[in-house]
Formats: sequence, structure tokens, C-alpha cells
Amino acid sequence: MVPTLKASTGRGLGYAVPRMQDADRSSGLLIALPAWNEERNLAAVLDELRGAWPAARLLVVDDASTDGTAALARGLGAEVLSLPFHLGYGAAVQTGIKYALRGGYGVVVTFDADGQHDPADVGGLLAALAGGADLAVGSRALAEGSYRGSLARRWGRRLFGTVARLLTGLELTDPTSGLKALGRRAQVLYALSRFPDRYPDADALVLTQRARLTIVERPARMRPSLNRRSMHDGARGVAYAFNMLFSLVVAATGTERDLRR
Amino acid sequence: MPARQVVVFLGLSVLLLAVVVELVRRRRLRVEYSWLWIAACLTSMLLIVRYDLLVSLTGLVGAVVPTSTLFFLCTLYLALLSLHYSIRISHLTHQVKDLAQEMAILRAQLPGEAVSQQEAK
Repeated sequence: MVPTLKASTGRGLGYAVPRMQDADRSSGLLIALPAWNEERNLAAVLDELRGAWPAARLLVVDDASTDGTAALARGLGAEVLSLPFHLGYGAAVQTGIKYALRGGYGVVVTFDADGQHDPADVGGLLAALAGGADLAVGSRALAEGSYRGSLARRWGRRLFGTVARLLTGLELTDPTSGLKALGRRAQVLYALSRFPDRYPDADALVLTQRARLTIVERPARMRPSLNRRSMHDGARGVAYAFNMLFSLVVAATGTERDLRR
Repeated sequence: MPARQVVVFLGLSVLLLAVVVELVRRRRLRVEYSWLWIAACLTSMLLIVRYDLLVSLTGLVGAVVPTSTLFFLCTLYLALLSLHYSIRISHLTHQVKDLAQEMAILRAQLPGEAVSQQEAK
């Protein structure tokens, strides 16, 4: 049903979806953590994840960190992919998804390495996928008493959510969430070369919707992470908002030939 | 157009054309990027030799002085060239990203790579 599955060759796609050889691991779970200089938080996050999901493979995508992120993750027994130079959050996440496709993992969970997500919430996402969804998103807005970020951020999320709804009818309560679970079909879509790779955001969800994949939201508590400098603060936040809005319009109206049936 | 002007500017055009062709011959400039420059050289040569064409073009677009027509054409040409490069850069950005990701994935599969990466730090 996913039109993108046909797309192992062809222009504009740029990425050949590999054949799945490892059928045994089709039910395997990969937890991918994009990490950029997360030395201070990573050990605790990996420990927590390992405690909650002992059967999952943990993959740290080291986005050209200048601290000891990669060595630390390796020492803790996680798989590590080291990008040769900094690509940014979305592209790091995409690297993990491409890796999962190669390994034939049935489910990839994207999980921020700064400790803002709660491993317990992964369960709800996995249940949603088992229930037939292609993509499950952890939503702060659905979780009682969850940290929701500053006023500007909440307004930003509401704005993106509203624009996405107006453009495509997609109902999103937390379009900027980094906690997601992707089934195989969502993995194939997210691994496309020209898929939005700046941030996995409302534009990505709009495209997911246009590819006719089913998206569900599940509550996810977010903790204010201790040592976190957000990627969306200050003047960057303004630039981000404009980029995002434009990207949303493009996602909703663009000619995505290979997304069509 | 005074003969001196014709000689000077025709000479410059021919020189630029020669430089472009030579760059292609030395593989410093790819063929697909050269035709824009070659077209620009040939156009300027044509307008120098047939100044009346520029004058009638000026009348056609409603400009008053041929100079402003020429200026307008140059600006337009440069703007389109920049747009062309932006498109190429966007394409290259995608390719570089894909290569970097591919490299990270393949590198993780090399035996002993984890050790050597740690040593490199």
C-alpha cells in the first residue's frame, strides 16, 4: 500500500531501499538515539533503556560529537554509528532508520539522548504499532502533568499543529515530538533521501499522512532535561519557526510523485 | 559603436571564451557547467558585432537607452545563474548527507573499527 515501497530505484529518491535478508529479526526492536555531545546524559539514558527494554538493540548515532559520546556509548555496549561531520538532528535520526532497514528491524523507536523521554512510554507506542499503526508519536499534550516547555514552544507547537490540520486534516497534538515508533513502512518513507531531514517534525508527519500511512499519538511524559540547551531557542527558534511553516506548506502541497498511489 | 570599443570588448569576449574552453579542456570545469558561460560569451559577441540588434531589442522591451537593456540582461542572467547554482547545491547537500550516513553505517561494520576510532580520540 505504501507507494514508496516500489521505489528501489528512480530519480529524486536517491536512496535504494535494501532488500530485507534477515527475516528472523523482523520483529526486532531498535532504539535509535541521535546524540550530539550528550556525554553527560547518555549513560543514564542508556542504563534506563536497557533496564526497561532488555531485548532491544540500542543504537547511538553520534552526530560528530566533539566530546566522548561515541566512546562512552561503545563502552556501555550500545551500537554506535559515527557520522563523519555534523548533519543535524533529523539527518542523524534518519541514519538510525537507514541502519534499521539494513538490519531488518521491524520497529525503530527514536529516542532523544538528552534524557527528556521516559522509557516506560515506549510501551504505548509499541502497542499502537502492534495495533496496526505505521507510526506512533509520543505526545506531551496527551500526558497528564507532563512538562511542556516554555510558552513560546507551546504556542509554536499549537501553530504547527493548526497549520498541519488546515492543510491536510491531520490532527496532531504534539507535532514536534522526538519520541516516535516506526513500523517498517514508516521506516522506508523516513529513509528517503529527500525526506525532510532538518527536524522530524510536522512536515514529516504531513508527508506520512500523504503517503497514506496511519499515524497515532500516545501520551508521553517529557522531563525537563537537566543539561539541555534546546535546538530551538532564541533567534534560531524564530528561523526554525519560519523554516517549519514553509516546509509544512511544501510538504502539504509539494509534488511528491513517488508518494502517490 | 566606435571601432576602438568593438575591438576592446570583442577581445574581452573572445578571451573569456578561450578561458572557459581551456578550463573545460583541463577538466577544471565540467562540460555541463560550461555551456552557460559559452552562451554568455557568444551573446555578448553577437551584440558587439550587431549593435543594431541591441538597439531594436531596446525598442522591443520599451527601454530608452541600449545600455540599460544590456544592464538588465546581465542582471537577469546572473540572477538565473545563482538560482541554477542554488539548485545544484541543494542536490549536492542531499548527496553529501546520504554519503555521510552511508559511510557511518558501513564504518560500523568494519572489524576493529570501534577500537581504532577510540584510539583516534
